[in-house]
Amino acid sequence: METTDLNLFVRTSEESISGWNRSKIVDALIRETLIDRDSAEEISKEVEQMIRKSGIEVITAPLIRELVNARLIEKGLETSRKMHTRLGMPLYDVDSLILHPNKENANVPHGPEATNLTLAEGIKKEYALLSVFSQEVADAHMNGDIHLHDLGFVDRPYCSGQSLEYIKKFGLDLPHSLSMAKPAKHAEVLLAHLVKFAAALQSHFAGAIGWDAINIFFAPYIEGMSDGDVKQLAQMLIFEFSQQAVARGGQAIFTDINIYWEIPKHFVTVPAIGPGGKFTGKTYGEYEKEAQRFAWKLFEVFKEGDGAGRPFFFPKPIVHITEKFFHTDGHMDFLNLISDVAADKGNTYYVFDRGETAKISECCRLSFKLEESDLLDAREPWRMRYCALQNVSLNLPRLAYMAKNDDTKLFNLITERFVLAVRAHKEKRVFMEKLLSLGENGPLALLTMNRDGMPYLRFNHASHLIGMVGLNEMVQIHTGEEMHDSKRALKFGIKAIAHMNLLTEKMRRQENMKIVLEQTPAESTSYRFARLDLRYFSPHAGRIMKGDIASGEVYYTNSTHLNVKHAMNPIERVTTEGLFHPLIEAGSISHVWLGEAQPSKEAIADFVIKTFKHTTNDQIAFSPEFTTCNKCHRTGRGLTDTCSYCGSTDVDGITRITGYFTKVSSWNKGKLGELKDRYRNVEFFSEKRKAAND
Amino acid sequence: MPFTAPDCPAVKGFIETSFVDWKGHLASVLFLGGCNFRCPFCHNRDLVLNPGGLEDVPIEYVVATIRKYRAQWIDNIVVTGGEPTIHMNVFGLIGLLKSEGMSIKLDTNGSNPSVVKGLFNDGLIDCIAMDVKGPLDRYSRWCGINVNDRKVRESIEFIMECGIDYHFRMTVVPFLHREEDVYTVAAELQGAKDLIIQTFRPDVTLNPAFSRIKPFSADKMTQIRANASEILAGSGKEELVGPHKLGIAGPETEQDNLYQQ
Repeated sequence: METTDLNLFVRTSEESISGWNRSKIVDALIRETLIDRDSAEEISKEVEQMIRKSGIEVITAPLIRELVNARLIEKGLETSRKMHTRLGMPLYDVDSLILHPNKENANVPHGPEATNLTLAEGIKKEYALLSVFSQEVADAHMNGDIHLHDLGFVDRPYCSGQSLEYIKKFGLDLPHSLSMAKPAKHAEVLLAHLVKFAAALQSHFAGAIGWDAINIFFAPYIEGMSDGDVKQLAQMLIFEFSQQAVARGGQAIFTDINIYWEIPKHFVTVPAIGPGGKFTGKTYGEYEKEAQRFAWKLFEVFKEGDGAGRPFFFPKPIVHITEKFFHTDGHMDFLNLISDVAADKGNTYYVFDRGETAKISECCRLSFKLEESDLLDAREPWRMRYCALQNVSLNLPRLAYMAKNDDTKLFNLITERFVLAVRAHKEKRVFMEKLLSLGENGPLALLTMNRDGMPYLRFNHASHLIGMVGLNEMVQIHTGEEMHDSKRALKFGIKAIAHMNLLTEKMRRQENMKIVLEQTPAESTSYRFARLDLRYFSPHAGRIMKGDIASGEVYYTNSTHLNVKHAMNPIERVTTEGLFHPLIEAGSISHVWLGEAQPSKEAIADFVIKTFKHTTNDQIAFSPEFTTCNKCHRTGRGLTDTCSYCGSTDVDGITRITGYFTKVSSWNKGKLGELKDRYRNVEFFSEKRKAAND
Repeated sequence: MPFTAPDCPAVKGFIETSFVDWKGHLASVLFLGGCNFRCPFCHNRDLVLNPGGLEDVPIEYVVATIRKYRAQWIDNIVVTGGEPTIHMNVFGLIGLLKSEGMSIKLDTNGSNPSVVKGLFNDGLIDCIAMDVKGPLDRYSRWCGINVNDRKVRESIEFIMECGIDYHFRMTVVPFLHREEDVYTVAAELQGAKDLIIQTFRPDVTLNPAFSRIKPFSADKMTQIRANASEILAGSGKEELVGPHKLGIAGPETEQDNLYQQ
């Protein structure tokens, strides 16, 4: 190999400056691509020639790489060029990233950790689109036909449902951790294990970490504790989860806790695990009173709010309302308590498990129905670990622009996009299998640890989610009416979702994968789809778009929801939106926006009971709005410009964005547009309204 | 069921589902137009001053809606105003609602005790909510017209003794009311089941000047409520001599400052 007399220094990625060495180009080409040595030599010489001519004295390695890529393109070596791609970010972008907050996910605070997250996500996103997914899938994502959620976390599963029993039985013994803890003997220690395990899990999942029946599984540890101590424990649990800003990019751990007033049938006869990981000799059915005591105290803490009277953002309490709930002593008192919290702080999620189904809720609105085999698992509850590998959403309004009022074409387009989403799932699955196959030495060692005869992540149980954004707008474009406008429009919407439901069934059998529909929370997706459609489908899209085009605050209505702006009797909203819920297996929600109104707890409780009895709605949440003051640290009702206590203008608005509470200042533009539109049911909830036709 | 509407006052507003109008219940709300009071802080301006300018809600629509929801969702209805008791044919309306199987709550300002008694005697109402505008001895000051406070007293007495569920409510308006006025009202209602003290809302007011008044702060309202409920429950009227004994939250408005000087 000839040596070069080129007087040139290269700034390499290893933080060093080395002399020019042409052979490095050749080495890289041969290592990374499928090109032959002669061509590699030739390209390297051409690049050297070019640099020599330019008279440049110091050059960066990335620039050399791009020069090589330019040669590869010229030679028509497209595959090799792709393999030789460099992932990274322009200086300008990094600069503004470090200085300004990221608004894609309102849960991420602004700070050095958050910047690290965004930088890493940026590269992993590019990596995913180049290397994990096929070009067809990647292109569909980039032009906004579909959305692959959490691409920046492509090397993790999406979200999960966990069992406290696992740490109760096996202690905290994580791969590669510095110390191993035996099963907890005291409630406080169990709590510490729970929080630490949740933090460890959060760094292996992109989305929510849900805990099933937390008050029931804590019950054996609570026996004998005084009410004061139980309250203290409840307080610790909630504060630990709401203040641990340790997860991805300095976020809080996205935690859901599932709470039951009764002991669900599938746990009644299950032997309870108590202190030291030993069976107590009793069943969970015998711990009903203790479980109820803990549930009660948890909600007392939620009612009080944090030190400034704000609602806790995390953990999200999900209360399961079942047939058995209504046959359990004290259920009305408990319903009033949690409805008081719903009216005052908004935390409570009501999940309706009608009939014999048992469900676990996880992410914003993701829940799993427990199947036959899962109920067998319930005999050994530590096995009840679930996950969804990935979430893909379809841009429904776009299909309606394309179908041009032709029903057959529209449904055919839905099918095509659905199949594409399934393909995306298969590609992610292959990638995840590769990572998990590396076992304890791989990146997902935690998920492969094997303490009970099977890996922690039960891959064969994993779900694959397909969501939808903007059904309302799709119907509007196609039929000329929004879903609240007429029965005809509503029926068409239901037909579309029924079609997707059928596709789910078919694809599940065909691909032998657990594919389920879900209502995508789409915190940033509805904004992204709206923006992209404005680009590709104007002027038509401009007439359909919700929000304000002039300010750029545009959005599509989430999932199968009805127009958030439309004035609507809350009974009609939960009933009508509930019509879709049985078709959406992985779970759905209806939001009742309260604004500053504070309804009475009994009225809310009554409404909840009737929603359970007379609708098919799966889940509801009531969302109040708050203004919290950074000066006097107090929190008032409603979104206001000044503090209602001290008049300070240094205030933050707080309300529910999609499935969780957060500060309004961190919201993306699409969600801000939605916030302005949200119909707050003032007529129904507030004393300040006027006569109806004013 | 075939339906012929009886002689009824015009319905000027209809809320199918309310979470706030009947404490502890889901309820529908009917608004009737017109009022014999002119409280400057009233937030239903058009309903009081210009009911003719508001469109009527057909009673057929009201009944159809009630029938739609009553089996599963709502079997309570609030009749409010304006002032419902100024319409002599309110009996027809409430009788109709009652015959549809609804429980009825009547909102009134207490100026027509005979109508309230009549509705009670006919077994047409299940709950009465009366707005007490301020201390009884200066009633005209609170309601903007000359009022026979004897009638108001009569209503209060009747409501407390009639045996059906009831609520008294008072809206506290800074500058119009002094804090002590609330305590006077509480003393006048002593022994009553409850007195709901509402924060004034300045958004829309009958007298536009009142829309510039800032309501008392949440803290102050909490303090006022606590003091008032103590008085309502027991401590005598004669003990009531101003802020000194009652642990007041602190000066809030210029008016307070003046008072304390």
